[in-house]
Amino acid sequence: MKKSLSWWLLFTVLMSSMPLLISTRSLRIFIFANFIAIFAMSWDILSGYTGYISFGHPFLIGIAGYTSAILSHQYATPLYISMPLAILLTMVAGSLFFFPALRTRGTYFALVTLAFMEVTYHLVQVVRPDVTGGSRGLTGLPLLVTGAVQNYYVSLFAMLLIGMGLWALARSGLGTVLSAIRMDEDAVKSAGLNTSKFKLFAFTLSALVAGIGGVLFTHYLGSISPRGMFDINFLFTILIAALIGGEHSIVGPILGAYFLTFLLEFSRPYIPGSWRYLCYGMIALIVYMYAPRGLFTIVTAVENRIRGKNLKGEEYDSQAA
Amino acid sequence: MTAKLLELNALTKKFGGIFAVYDLSFHVEEGESLGLIGPNGSGKTTTFNLIMSELKQDEGNIFFEGKEISRYPTHERVKMGISRTYQIPRPFGEMSVTKNIRIGLMPDEILSVMRMNSASKREREIGNSVGFKEHHLQALPNELSMGDLRRLELARTIATNPKLLLLDEVFAGLTTGEITELSELLKKKKKEGLTFVIVSHDLKSLAPLVDRVVVVSFGQRIAEGSFEQVIADEKVKEAYLGK
Repeated sequence: MKKSLSWWLLFTVLMSSMPLLISTRSLRIFIFANFIAIFAMSWDILSGYTGYISFGHPFLIGIAGYTSAILSHQYATPLYISMPLAILLTMVAGSLFFFPALRTRGTYFALVTLAFMEVTYHLVQVVRPDVTGGSRGLTGLPLLVTGAVQNYYVSLFAMLLIGMGLWALARSGLGTVLSAIRMDEDAVKSAGLNTSKFKLFAFTLSALVAGIGGVLFTHYLGSISPRGMFDINFLFTILIAALIGGEHSIVGPILGAYFLTFLLEFSRPYIPGSWRYLCYGMIALIVYMYAPRGLFTIVTAVENRIRGKNLKGEEYDSQAA
Repeated sequence: MTAKLLELNALTKKFGGIFAVYDLSFHVEEGESLGLIGPNGSGKTTTFNLIMSELKQDEGNIFFEGKEISRYPTHERVKMGISRTYQIPRPFGEMSVTKNIRIGLMPDEILSVMRMNSASKREREIGNSVGFKEHHLQALPNELSMGDLRRLELARTIATNPKLLLLDEVFAGLTTGEITELSELLKKKKKEGLTFVIVSHDLKSLAPLVDRVVVVSFGQRIAEGSFEQVIADEKVKEAYLGK
């Protein structure tokens, strides 16, 4: 526990000093990475832990983004009201829509959630385009803060707070129960636990995080559009970040988000357009072949090798769960 | 007169056109251990699934401590005091033995669960009580023998603090030594007042453990009585061996 806390502290200090070390342009890459990390962690606490694979996270992020964008842009609601309202709505609406879906399992759940994303993509363009901005979306939204450095700190501290919060929860008995649901849901019921209650909680928590990320991201970009939000590439960036980093670990998605963002951004001058997506797909495959549980396991394995430790039982648990 | 802990009344479950359980009635008294036997496919495990609400019966009633429990979901029934083991052990594969037991101990309350993040003395006690050695407590399920996996199943069910244990094929896949150990353990638990329903094909191991036996065939009860009585029964012989 102490060891992990010192890692978090080190990470916080290192990341906080980043604006002193790098250019504004690079800082924008970090901001993007922080948001992807938030979204990937949101995915992880639901899908990584319980095994209910969501393909609909852009739906959640979109509800938050659109709600706050519409309130602040069309109805001149101040951000300190529109943002919490949007997060709340994400949790409520998200739970209402997703909870019936939690009765399905496996591929079916994934497809139902994907359908939510697709349906919303079309709905925001068709229903009241005067309010939602139709297929063009909304631009010129009020910004939460201006300037790369300020935005960097907002995204960083949101990411760190969410990361530490989820990490602590995941290491508590809650993480144990959610992981157990992934391994054998019926056996968890047979242990006297109401799995629906735990799944709903995991889902609401995931929606909360997606909501926070969604509003901050929207008011960082200053614009929102259906094509940008409910996009399959956006979904896969979140998913691959979580998977490549190592699901059900919370720390993994952060690693994955940074890894992916840097891979995409720094290869931009060298590899044209969609070829970059092909490259990252291939790199994801290679990581999977050699570390099926993600970069996180490589990092911990190296750390343990250095310390000369051999993982067993309870220690393995605490890292796995 | 001892009280009826569990009572099944005219239970029926159909899969398509086939009756897995048909008009099945029996009861279990408090402190009793009941053997539920029958040839393969006679509906023993289905009966357990119905008692645990893993399947819903088409007809009939289930009473526990005199209360009709048909509309209660699995976790509620576990909280009332019914718990089961599985024919094929179903451990949480990525968790150590103690953590598997911890799941059984957890209260069904999110805030309390959040506070349970470290090993407790109770996990160890339960682990030891079913015969786990100290070094096994930290092992992962894939490092355990079949006997130990059955122990783990038992430990996890005991952790839920049951009044009635449903044991499904507890002796399957075990060595003679392991069967003896497990039998001793069950006898001890019985002395401590636990009530059992045991499903087993291993009649020799079952005999000394049970007070009474119910025999089912094609989902129906065909005999009931002491172990000696039922194995002498012509209908039972016929069900097991054919005409």
